[in-house]
Order: sequence, then structure tokens, then C-alpha cells
Amino acid sequence: MADLRLLLVDDEVEFLEPMAARLTRRNVSCVTAGSGEEALKLLVAGHFDCAVVDVKMPGIDGLELLRRMRWNHPDVPVVLLTGHASIELGVQGMELGAFDYLMKPVDLDELLDTVRRAVQQPTMRPGRDNA
Amino acid sequence: MTMLDTSDRSYARLYRQIMAVLLCFGLVPLVSMGIAGFLANRDAIETRMRNVLEAMVKNRKVTVELFLEETMRQVELAAFSLPVDRLSQPETLESLLEQMRREGGAVIDLGLIADDGRHLAYVGPYALQGLNYRDQQWFEQVMVRGRYESDIFLGLRRFPHMVMAAKKREGGRDWILRATIDTDILSALVREGGLESGADVFILNRAAEYQTRYSDAHRLMEKADIDPISLHSGVRIAEVVRNGKREFLATAWLHGEAWVLVARQRMPGLTSLLPGHPAVVWLLVVGLVTIPVLSHFIARTRLKQFQTLEAERAAFHESMAQAQKMAAIGRLAAGVAHEINNPLAIIQAQAGVLADIVEDNPDLTHAAEFKDRVSKIVRQVERGRSVIHHLLGFSRRVGAEREPVDIIAALEETLGFVEKEIDASRIRVVRDFNRSVPIVRSHLAQMQQVFLNLINNALDAIEEGGEIRLSVQLADSSVVVRVEDTGPGIPEKDLPKIFDPFFSTKSSDGRHTGLGLAICQEIMRALGGRIGVESTPGRGTIFRLWFPLEPETA
Repeated sequence: MADLRLLLVDDEVEFLEPMAARLTRRNVSCVTAGSGEEALKLLVAGHFDCAVVDVKMPGIDGLELLRRMRWNHPDVPVVLLTGHASIELGVQGMELGAFDYLMKPVDLDELLDTVRRAVQQPTMRPGRDNA
Repeated sequence: MTMLDTSDRSYARLYRQIMAVLLCFGLVPLVSMGIAGFLANRDAIETRMRNVLEAMVKNRKVTVELFLEETMRQVELAAFSLPVDRLSQPETLESLLEQMRREGGAVIDLGLIADDGRHLAYVGPYALQGLNYRDQQWFEQVMVRGRYESDIFLGLRRFPHMVMAAKKREGGRDWILRATIDTDILSALVREGGLESGADVFILNRAAEYQTRYSDAHRLMEKADIDPISLHSGVRIAEVVRNGKREFLATAWLHGEAWVLVARQRMPGLTSLLPGHPAVVWLLVVGLVTIPVLSHFIARTRLKQFQTLEAERAAFHESMAQAQKMAAIGRLAAGVAHEINNPLAIIQAQAGVLADIVEDNPDLTHAAEFKDRVSKIVRQVERGRSVIHHLLGFSRRVGAEREPVDIIAALEETLGFVEKEIDASRIRVVRDFNRSVPIVRSHLAQMQQVFLNLINNALDAIEEGGEIRLSVQLADSSVVVRVEDTGPGIPEKDLPKIFDPFFSTKSSDGRHTGLGLAICQEIMRALGGRIGVESTPGRGTIFRLWFPLEPETA
């Protein structure tokens, strides 16, 4: 029985697939979405403890998805993941209510650690009041 | 900052131009004044000389003419006052000669000569009695003219002398009384009263032969080195050049126009022509000395200002170029970071899966090798990530927020980060800290990043057992941190490039991005300080960091 249900959103299948495999092996139940639109559908269909979202995606991008989730799914913490590391993006993401901001390529243990912290601090929902 | 050769040359040219203009403005009036004074002075001196010369020649002409006339008169008086039979007696001549001498005449001897040239009677120092003068030129002249004054000639006594002769008629025959004139007295008369320096006075005959002596440098009857002097009345003054020197030549023909009185005056030399008043001379000298000195100082000051401006401009351009380069790298980095980080993330994830598989199947053939190679892939991914991360660091501005930083404490803390490496390599750290350096307002994390980069470089550079010397000192308005290693040093050709991004002398073993020093420089710039390097191949490298005490608000 998986101890965590994680939604993994990235437009790169090549990245999603191995990440999901590795996380699953570590007792994290993983559902993957190849786009922001797909992620929103999955969020409606089922419950997730946390979402790990790539910032740069075609269509609904990471920041937009974050914005909508703060509105529709305020109880699901979001960890942003991106190859485009800049302070501005990080600050923007945090202001929109992301739990944390990690840079690709990310160390798996670091990611898991961040996700666990996000899940264990249910009071940390800064976006909910703002939204 | 060092100037290029061409700059030095152009500065030298500029210096010469400024000097030329300044010297022109300063010296032209001075020299003009000097020349004008010189010319005026020369004119005055020359006019005075002419006047003196003319007066002297006039005066001597009168004196010499009077002397000759008086002497001739004495001879004639003697000839006509006594009959021939008395004159032919040596006693009579003796007393006549005695009387003439008493009267101050210049007669040396007396002789009576018959119209056939026979010397009838003679008193004087020469043995001339009995000689015949028939063939002598003067004899002929006196027979024709009745009275005669000779030029200086050798005559029968073979000694330069001058004679005066008077003819008288008695008893149907002609008789001649002849007197020899002392040429020394004539010479002395001409030179009487002394002469100005550089002046000569003498008498020449028509053939320009000396009739009087003026020095030991010539003899009587010698030809004078003077162009023939034409007949003229009064005193004539001419300017001539003799032996390359200018001189005045004043001439006056004596009565009878057989002799000419000549006075020669050398023109004054340059030194005697200098403006007479000492104040004027001092003014000129002071001007000639001070104007070039002042010109030099003004030119040098202007040049220094030019050089400073030029250097500032060059430094400004350099920093602009550097800033633009960094900004471009920052933009590029931000642009490519995503494109590179995504594939890196995929590689890392895929490698992670492989690692998981090996872990789950420890019995797999070559499991160990698999694991090893996967870890190498992961390490290379980490390397790529590090490069991108550093690149992104460029686009990040150092926060405007400054905090009080104790530089020595910051340095000690940084040393703590690398304590293990230092101990492992048995490297000695020598500290030379001036504990009184003040707290500066700076950015601790950025400062420590610089320290760490430099110390890491030093650790990489030195062999086991080497030394890192750290010093913190106060200099002018900066705190200077020195990081010195005993490594192999940096080749001189590489020194200008070491702060360029991606430049690295180290082997690409995966740990070095070539960005460390570029980042150091960028940070120092942002902190308002600067970084400098000097290196002696074989001896080691010294990095210096200048942290301003009063940072400008960047």
C-alpha cells in the first residue's frame, strides 16, 4: 500500500516515466499527466496528497495550473519543478502559493523530502486565503 | 594600468607639441627683446667707436704733419742759415745736430752732399763719409724738387730709415743738407696717448708698406695686409673683414699724399655687445631658465590630466564591455538553462531507474559495473547542472541589501568549509591578519563565495605540504585581502585571460567550469571592489581583493 499519492505533471514523457517508476519503487503512488489540462481532469477525478508540476509546458503551464489549483484544489500542495531557474520565477511561484521550488535535474531524495514536508504541513496553504 | 607603446609615442608627441607652443609664447618675446637690445646696443657701441676713431685719426694726422713740417723746417733752416764752407766742416754739423736735438727734433745724423753725389761731410752713428749718393732715388728727387721727405728705405746703410733733404744753391753749384729722422720717434708719435683695446694706428706709404711700427708683429717696410687705399680727403671710415673678423678702418692722407695714416679698430666681440645693464642680463637669464622649466611643468601637468582622462575612459569602456559580456552570458544562460536542464533531468531520471533495477536484482551479471557506470552518468549530470547553475548566477544581481561584515571572521568561516581538504593535503595555512581592519558594509555570502573560490583554486594549485598565505590589511580606503599560494603559478600569457568566463588551465576532470574567477570578478565588481592577480611561474600566485571601506551604492 502506497503511503503517498502523487500527481506528476510534465510535458516530457521521457522524464515522467522513469520518475514515476522510481517513486513507485519508493512506495509513492504516482499518477502522471503530460499537460496542465490533463492534470486538471485527473485532479477532479481523484485525490492526491501532492502535485509536482513542471513550470514550462505548452498550453496551461505550471504557473497557470498552480493558480487554478489554488482556487479549485487548495488542499493539494504544489512543488514546482523547472529547468528554468531564476529568482523571479521562484518568487512568482511562491507568491502564487507553491510549497517549494526545485530546479531540474533534481535529486530524487531531495524531491521526496520536499514532497513529504509539503504533505506533513497541512496548515501551509498560503494560496488558499489569497485566492 | 599599462599604456600601449603607441599611446606612449602619441603622448611623447603631445608633450613635444605642448612644449613647442609654450616655449614659443614664452621665448619669442624674450628673445625678440634680447635681439632688439643687442642690436640697439651694438649700434650705440659702433657709433661711439666710429666717433672715437675719427677723432683719434684727425688728432694724429695733425700731430704727425706738425712733426714732419717742424723737422723739415729745422733742416731747411740749417741748410740756408750757414754757408757751404761752414757746413762742410764736421764741427759745424756736430753743433747743428746738437742744437736740433736740444730743440726736441728727431734728427739722428746730418750730412752735406755735393751735386755729384759725394758725401762731403757727415756726423752721426753710421760710417757714411765719402759714399756717393748719385744713384739713390732720394738724391734724384731732392735735386729736382729742392726739398724732399723720403719714405722709409734701406739705403746705403742697409737699415730702414727716413731722410729729409734740402737743396741750396751757392757758388754756382747745388748743395744738399740731408738729415736722417728717428723712425722710432715717428712711431711713438703715431701711437701717442695710448689706444683702445683692439685698435692699431700706423702710417703706410702709397705701396701700403709700414712706415711706423705698432707692434713686434711686423717690421718696417713690410707690406700691410690692407687693400690699397685710394686718395681721399679728410677722414674716411670703412668697415672691412680681416681674418674673418669685422673691423673699422679709418684712414687719412697726410700732407703731400705720400703717406696715409691708418687706424684699425676691431669690432667688439659678442659678449661685450650684451645689453649693458646687469638687470637686463639677469632678466634674460632668469627668463631663459624659468620659461622652459615652467613650460615643462605645465606640459607635464596637462599630459597627466590627459593620461588620467584617457585611462578613466579606457577603464570605463573596459568595464562597460565586461558588463555587457556578463549580461549577454546571463541572458544566454537563462535561455539555454531550461533547454539543457530538461534533457539532464531525463538522463538523470533514466539513470536512476537503471540504478534501481540493479539494486533490485543484485544477482545481475556485471551488477557492480552497471552500478559504477550509472553513478558516473549521474556525476556527469551533476557537472552539467553545476555549469548551468553558475551561469545563472551571472544573471542574478547581488542584492542591494548590504550588511556589516567582519572580513576576518568571514575568511575564517570560509576556511572552516575546506578544513578537511586542507588537513588531508597537509597544507599549511599562514595567517597575517591586521585585526584592526574596520567592519565593512558588504554582502557576506557573496564575499565568502569569492574567498571560497580563491582558496579552492589555491588548494588545487599547490602540492601536498604547500602553503596558503592569507593576509588582511588596510590600504588607503580599502581592506585588502591577499590569497597567496605556493603553486606552480600562471603562465604570463594566460594571466590576462583568467577572469574570462570558461577559461580554465585545469584539466577538464569534471570539477572545473572555468567560471570561478569570472564569478569572483563579477561579485567584486558588484560589491564595489576589485580583484587583481600577480603570478610568478614556479613561485606561486597572489590574488588580491580590494573591499571598499565606503562602498558606493551600486
